[in-house]
Amino acid sequence: MRIGKIVRSSSHIDYVCQVYRPGETQDPPRPEDHAFGSFVRIATAGSSTIVGVIYNTVLMNPDFGVLGPRLSTSAELAVFSPDYLNEQATLIGIIAIGTLGPGAAAIHGVPPQTAQIDDLVEPMGADEIIAFHNHAGNGIRLGYAPLLIAHGSPLARHLLLNLIERLESLCPQARPPLQVLKANVAWRAAVEPLG
Amino acid sequence: MSEPIGTTKGPGQTAHEYTFITPDRAHGIKTGEFVYYLATIDGQERAILGRVARRSPVRLYPDGFLADPQVPPEAVAGMIGDLPNEPGLFEITVAILGYHDPALADLVNPRLPPHAGQPIYLADDQLLASVLNRKAPQAPGSAHVGSLLSRPAGAVPVVLDAATITSTHLAIIASTGAGKSYLAGVILEELLAPYNRAAVLVVDPHAEYDTLREMETVPSLAAEGYSSEVHIVRPDTIKVRVSSLTLPDLRYLLPDLSEKMHYHLGRTYRAVKRRYGRNWTMGQFKVTLRAGGSSKPVTDPRADEELDDQVIDAEREEDGTVGALIWRVNQLFDSKIFDDHHSLPLQELFRPGRCTVLQLNEIEQREQQVVVATLLRRLWQARLDTEKGLAQEGNENYLPYPTFVLIEEAHNYAPASNDAITSQILKTILSEGRKFGVAMGLISQRPGRLDADVLSQCMTQCILRIVNPIDQNKVAESVESVGRDLLAELPALSKGQAIIAGAAVNTPVLCRVRPRHTPHGAEDLDAPARWRAWFSQGVDQKRERDLAPLLGPENRSRSRLFR
Repeated sequence: MRIGKIVRSSSHIDYVCQVYRPGETQDPPRPEDHAFGSFVRIATAGSSTIVGVIYNTVLMNPDFGVLGPRLSTSAELAVFSPDYLNEQATLIGIIAIGTLGPGAAAIHGVPPQTAQIDDLVEPMGADEIIAFHNHAGNGIRLGYAPLLIAHGSPLARHLLLNLIERLESLCPQARPPLQVLKANVAWRAAVEPLG
Repeated sequence: MSEPIGTTKGPGQTAHEYTFITPDRAHGIKTGEFVYYLATIDGQERAILGRVARRSPVRLYPDGFLADPQVPPEAVAGMIGDLPNEPGLFEITVAILGYHDPALADLVNPRLPPHAGQPIYLADDQLLASVLNRKAPQAPGSAHVGSLLSRPAGAVPVVLDAATITSTHLAIIASTGAGKSYLAGVILEELLAPYNRAAVLVVDPHAEYDTLREMETVPSLAAEGYSSEVHIVRPDTIKVRVSSLTLPDLRYLLPDLSEKMHYHLGRTYRAVKRRYGRNWTMGQFKVTLRAGGSSKPVTDPRADEELDDQVIDAEREEDGTVGALIWRVNQLFDSKIFDDHHSLPLQELFRPGRCTVLQLNEIEQREQQVVVATLLRRLWQARLDTEKGLAQEGNENYLPYPTFVLIEEAHNYAPASNDAITSQILKTILSEGRKFGVAMGLISQRPGRLDADVLSQCMTQCILRIVNPIDQNKVAESVESVGRDLLAELPALSKGQAIIAGAAVNTPVLCRVRPRHTPHGAEDLDAPARWRAWFSQGVDQKRERDLAPLLGPENRSRSRLFR
């Protein structure tokens, strides 16, 4: 299943993906497939795959603010002006957090390669997520955590909390250190803004 | 040259400090440790030595990482990145001491801090042993008191310059139980070793230097034709010739006299010296006092003998003041320490290779002070007379060698709050003693109660653990040579660890006092053990038997038994 395709980037690690709508692909994604905090992979021309996380969602709607009457109904427009419908889109922000090479060799942090326009974005399965976080059989790693915080998104801490919770369920053996990290991030995310 | 341990960051808070950054992989850069950088001085590459004054971490885990005692912070930190195995990184502040100039036998500050990025090295043991000490252990004039605290025991010996100690005075300051008597014992062992053979007197108010006697049997303290000698002077053998007392001594021994009594005492003192010369006796003093202000000549043929109290009572002046003074003087002269003719001979007390321990434990404190004051005055006069050629061999004031006097509980002899009778002679010796070969070693557990002038005149200081903040401040005020960084270590020192600073070492050092050759005599009493012994089997039965009332013959009669 494919979530969408890369349509824009605002930095080396910050990409925008347009989610496929029904009719654009054989198996269109459901909303939970591109939920906040989902791990995705971006297939590139090279041998490795960029791993990213969905950190934002924007709904594009050219009709918003156009309050005047229409001469045609929506059903008629679907027949006579199909391009018009395509201007409505769901865009998701993806932050690249590493690469997954052949043999599940994971690199956390800024990926050296970049994604190209129209590169496909796919959801990652549980096995791939575990492989990406596996630390040479010695617990798990979230080497991208400082990158997420440094990204500056207002949702960065909540995103990290979301990822940690996901990893807690996927890797129960790594729960103790994850809980310490989660408590630390949760405190900063929940208490400091109000302090 | 060893591998560098860090890299210079920049200047410190003062012109004589710099900072460097180190991961300190060996965990060896402790406060008080010595490091160096290289600089070219007058065309020659020199190792500029410095002492670590402060150490502060520059990379710490967030508090949140330390939240769960079951989860080490490394496990949390390891999850979020490829962190180095050694998260510790420290900023070390170093006080620059300088390079060692063999010609000056001292450290010379080049006033040239290292530039940023310059490597810093840990000073090796050999370098430190040669730079910190002026003498090698067991060299003539050396006093090996221990080893550098920041290095393994015995790696870098700390050796004092015995000649400096025994000319410019020594102070040993510590709280109770920190090991000051132990350190004093070590210094005494060194002074009496074959390579020094000092003439030492120990003023011992608690009789805790008895064990020094074992020095006579320690092989390392003997040499061919020499063996140190320890002479214990017990309290009952201590004698003060009354004629060695000055008028202030008498006034000190007779406190709370009225103005009129002072007048009579002074007049009597002057009169007895005028009439009987320098060696007057107690009887002569009493007779002169009794004669009072009358012009009646003293015709008593027994005047130089001890007068019987009854005679005095019968002949007592009607003047109540003089009568009261006579009573006070009688009380004073009843003390067993005063004698008409004898006093402790200086040549017996002071002799090279001999340590005389003057035990004052059974003597009242004011009398202790007078014993010490008269003794120091006699010593001072003897050294003056001998050095100036006024005393010849055979004269009781002839003392042709320097002496060292170690005084325990020195705050009792030079108190800060008021002048004791010993204060003046102590100050005289401390300020002028080096010219005439009279040196003092002062030991005190309350530097706050010790006269500040007296403390500051001791040019070598051995400071052990001090917890009391008043005492710490007093030490900081009086001891100029010890930096604030070392004084901050005072409460943290353990038993047997000392800061040694001043004239006898090239730079202040943290020292681990070496084990003594002789047993330590000031161990605390084990009260619970004594209490348990009271009830031990056999002892209590014997005690009951010994204390049982004896039955007299009448009690043993048949009628008594069967009543």
